[in-house]
Amino acid sequence: MKYEVFTNTLKKTLKMSKKAFCISLVGLIFVFGFTTIQTADNCDKKALTTSCKKKLDPYKYDSQKFTKINFTKKAQQLEVEVPIFIGEKYRLVFNTSGMPKGIKINVYTKDKEAKKREAIFSNKDAKADETQLIFDVPRARKMYVDYDVPADSTNAKLTGCMIFMVGYK
Amino acid sequence: MLLKKNSLVLKGALFIAASMVFVACGSDAPTDETIAPTEDSVVAEVQTEELTYSLPSPLQIASIFKKSGLKYKAGITSDLKDPAKYTSNLNKAINLGVYSADLSYAVLNKQNQEAMTYMKLSRQLADNLGMGTVFDQGNLSTRFEKNLSNEDSLAYIIAELQMVTDMYLDENDQQQITSIVFSGAWVESMYIGSKVYEKGKDKSLNGKLAEQMTILGSIINALKAEEKKDAAIGGLIADLVIVKDVYDALPSVKNNPAGEDDAEKELTLTDDEVTQLTTKIEVLRAKFING
Repeated sequence: MKYEVFTNTLKKTLKMSKKAFCISLVGLIFVFGFTTIQTADNCDKKALTTSCKKKLDPYKYDSQKFTKINFTKKAQQLEVEVPIFIGEKYRLVFNTSGMPKGIKINVYTKDKEAKKREAIFSNKDAKADETQLIFDVPRARKMYVDYDVPADSTNAKLTGCMIFMVGYK
Repeated sequence: MLLKKNSLVLKGALFIAASMVFVACGSDAPTDETIAPTEDSVVAEVQTEELTYSLPSPLQIASIFKKSGLKYKAGITSDLKDPAKYTSNLNKAINLGVYSADLSYAVLNKQNQEAMTYMKLSRQLADNLGMGTVFDQGNLSTRFEKNLSNEDSLAYIIAELQMVTDMYLDENDQQQITSIVFSGAWVESMYIGSKVYEKGKDKSLNGKLAEQMTILGSIINALKAEEKKDAAIGGLIADLVIVKDVYDALPSVKNNPAGEDDAEKELTLTDDEVTQLTTKIEVLRAKFING
């Protein structure tokens, strides 16, 4: 009799512990899962590539450059050098849909260390909902794609990614 | 019983709350984030990141040489057709670049069987690098075989292959492979260009050889940026620096201060200068191919 009572009590205890464990596990999955989703940069490289490629035609694909951008309390300037060649025709396609908020895009023929340089392309007149930008490049020897990322003082740890694709014909 | 159930739910809830506190505390880096920046400091400070590079494709280099009048010359492409010979990832990636350049040269000169051979060799090397699946995307391999008689289609298929390869390497954080592959392709393209130049001394080709030298600095810098991912990249950089030093010391280069700014002006090297450059390229190309 005593043995039966003991066994039943043990079974109940184990059942309750199992429930507590399950509830805790679900809770942990929820908490960590939610955190992971919050910190991911949500950069779907395949979708961005496919989207840019559509706008590249009739130019032939040459290269593409993804740049991961972490917004910080300081404004940032990121620069990508793109070599180009005499007599070739080039197109650049930018896609900003991987960005959580707007950044300035400028293209120069000289790097940021140059004393004087003028932008040959800028997104300053682009509409807010315009996520794809096309730039047919004039004659030049090199291009410098600059991303001017504004400061973010909200502590939201925003991240995003920029892509540009280069085509030639 | 009800009390026990409530107690159980309470325990679970407390555990979740504790987990949330733990996660929240752990995700905050103990830096200067607790100090709220003033509006002035936010506006004034601009953090300038290191320059990064976007290198062209082997197909574009081959296309530029072709437009300048580069003729097909049999027997100058890589004749080492055993990818298993290359054991290190560096040598595999370099020679994938060599094959890419040879493939582009063959396609643009309508050498269909040769193109097919280099396509298969590229696939084998890509398999050895663990990235062979890129050839299966969009049935690229099959489409290549079916379009062997159509030069334009083949060029578009190679461009598409380049795109899926770039995307694959980006997604897998292996951008260093992109730079290494292009280094191999660039040296092979320069080798082909210089060998064809030796025969015809075509002025246009001379200008294109010199123009290609202007991107060597970008290739070296792109490799330097990825050096921490593979220590072996250091040796490749050193080899390329030797070629760049030879070019930079050539009198025609030293006496051409306007070269970088003039979008139309092409530099012409003397035959002796081309020979000096070609000798260095040949040595490096042999080193690449021999593994």
